[in-house]
Amino acid sequence: MSAAIEVRDLRFRYGEGTEALRGVSFSIAEGECVGLIGPNGAGKSTLLLHLNGLLPESLKGEGSVFVDGSPVTADTLHEVRRKVGLLFQDANDQLFCPTVFEDVAFGPQQLGLSEAEIRERVTQALARAGIPGFEARAPHHLSVGEKRRVCLAGVLACDPSILVLDEPSSSLDPRGRRELKELLRQIPITKLIATHDLELVVELCSRVIVLDEGSVVAQGPTVEVLSDEELMLRHNLEKPHALRHLHPH
Amino acid sequence: MHIPDGFLDTKTAVAAGALAVAGMGLALRQARAHLPPRRVPLLGLAAAFVFAAQMINFPVAGGTSGHLIGAVLAAVLLGPSAAVIVISAVLIVQCLMFADGGISALGANIFNMAVLGGVGGWAIYHLVSRAVKGLFGRVLAAAFAAWCSTVIASVACAGELASSHTVRFSVVLPAMAGIHMLIGVGEALITALVLVAIARARPELLQPDEATEPRRSYGAVVAYGGLIALGLALFVSPLASRWPDGLERAAEALGFKAKAAAPILPAPIPEYEVPGIHWSALGTAIAGAVGTIVAFVMAWLLARVLVPNTRREDTASPPGGR
Amino acid sequence: MRHDFLDRYSRLDSPIHRLPPAVKLVSALALVLAVVLLPPSRPVLLAAVAVVLLVVAGLSRIPWPALLWRVILLEPFVLGVAILALFQPGGWRLFLILVARSTLCLLTMVLLSNTTPFADLLRVLKAWRMPALLVTTLSLMYRYLFVLVDEAQRMQRARASRTFTPRRRRAWRAMATVVSQLFIRSSERAERIYAAMCARGWR
Repeated sequence: MSAAIEVRDLRFRYGEGTEALRGVSFSIAEGECVGLIGPNGAGKSTLLLHLNGLLPESLKGEGSVFVDGSPVTADTLHEVRRKVGLLFQDANDQLFCPTVFEDVAFGPQQLGLSEAEIRERVTQALARAGIPGFEARAPHHLSVGEKRRVCLAGVLACDPSILVLDEPSSSLDPRGRRELKELLRQIPITKLIATHDLELVVELCSRVIVLDEGSVVAQGPTVEVLSDEELMLRHNLEKPHALRHLHPH
Repeated sequence: MHIPDGFLDTKTAVAAGALAVAGMGLALRQARAHLPPRRVPLLGLAAAFVFAAQMINFPVAGGTSGHLIGAVLAAVLLGPSAAVIVISAVLIVQCLMFADGGISALGANIFNMAVLGGVGGWAIYHLVSRAVKGLFGRVLAAAFAAWCSTVIASVACAGELASSHTVRFSVVLPAMAGIHMLIGVGEALITALVLVAIARARPELLQPDEATEPRRSYGAVVAYGGLIALGLALFVSPLASRWPDGLERAAEALGFKAKAAAPILPAPIPEYEVPGIHWSALGTAIAGAVGTIVAFVMAWLLARVLVPNTRREDTASPPGGR
Repeated sequence: MRHDFLDRYSRLDSPIHRLPPAVKLVSALALVLAVVLLPPSRPVLLAAVAVVLLVVAGLSRIPWPALLWRVILLEPFVLGVAILALFQPGGWRLFLILVARSTLCLLTMVLLSNTTPFADLLRVLKAWRMPALLVTTLSLMYRYLFVLVDEAQRMQRARASRTFTPRRRRAWRAMATVVSQLFIRSSERAERIYAAMCARGWR
């Protein structure tokens, strides 16, 4: 059974600039929830963009990304983008239609579904994201948390098998964070979460990948990696509070 | 300069509307052919930007403030066809959402500000910046073009109002052109300042041609030129009062005139004369020419101040042979 | 500077709000054309239109002060042009007719925009075969209008909090910086939106 996501020796450079990714390799099995952590500028966002083939230069680059066993190439782009739902960091960038309904319907429309199917998908997606009945709302009247949910619904409406999230809990108040956590718990599909929120990682992710300066510096079970205080501090991170009070059972 | 409803008569509104539709159609065709897909969202964002920028107060004196119109700024940053689309979008939203500008006058407003102001302004910018190199040349060209486009748009607006027999040409032309020669100064100043700021922060954004209009076809140039010439001829021709009013004739021929709102004043309107002021086509032309020369000189001085000598050969100069 | 462009009233519930957007748009257009084409020698007809508009306004449940305020905000533009009409024989009559007609049309459009969310109007325009590129542009413009105005306001506030002397020349330069930053950020945001559109399969 092929991995949901497999990345082999991925390298990437922006134009003439520094290398953003220097030989990144990892794989994520189906159904896993993996955390991607690392300091600012480590290359997390760049890596995530590769999972949807959004960097045109990357398609000719070195190293490769495989989704469900097949490589991400110019020909497979559309299928990859449907399978891998990418949630961007700034909900404002991803919520670009004048009403919630139209935005969530965007993906299904691009897939060529019928009007009835689209409506069905939108209703279901909004329900799954915990905001049923938001169809007629206008984006600029929504809170950050609500916008995030709309974006999540928009991605879920495409029926992806893998969910990739870039800083999903940033700018959320504590309650929003809790609700997001619950929401993600209830979505059983494969997940990769890039985040600074180490507590969230402890709560949701079974495995963790640590990225710094474009390379994977550690990966493994969450508790193990995050408990390594020295490793954490070395990469501008820290041991999360949730693990400070763990008593051995 | 947004004309409200009720100031234009049928023939003028329809004629201007036709010109606007033709101009927008041309711009959309150009954009569809030459705009790379990754730039499509930029049109919408630029329209929002122009709108937002128009709301920023530039304090003048005693509580009054100036505001940006933005047609030339858009044209310099995005190219003429994109500018037409962007400014048209702004005008449409202003009309439908804020009742700013009448819906029956939308055609005229779009023709004046988007087509004349945007494309005409861009043409002036293109010519001047080709003649004078470097960032200095671009700032000079943009400032001058901004002033010109404001004035030209206002002249067309005056022409449309006069052609509708709403106001007398001899009154509306000096009033509108005069006021807009002053407003144009603000427009030139703001456009220049903003361009310099962008050049300093992100010079690569000042190379629109490659990005938005990589291959400008001569057909498009001719078509735009024709539209502009036609518009000016239709609405500004009363200036040369010896010529028959082309639009009147056409309207009569097409049966518009009879069906349109009955003229409020008895026709024909007596010769354009305001008691006490002797107005002549020649006098107006001279005033216009003097104003334009003064504007050019001021634009030169402005560019000199904003782009000191040492930066003349700036990185933001257009690549050779545009 | 007009701040209140939120669709504050366009989502109320009233018989007018519930009408299909296409009906409202066509009616508004028809009313405007009727007013503009009415022979000015019969002011009674103008009064009839005024009555129709007032009835619609009443049914729409939009608070009267808000409606009045919006119309008043736009009057200066009407008056400014209409004043020029005074400089000719019979000017007063013309002036009054212009102002009356224009104001009625203003009221019509204000009612339209306050009873119909722009997104609905856009959908109607799309159905009427407005070119796709223009629809996309209008759609994105409407969506990001508030975002950009917000950004502009925040930048203005930040600038104001660091301005200690009211030097006009500096003020202009600072504002130009705000405007230029607004463009740069919009440009970058457009790139991100493009990526987001592609991520959901845009063709």
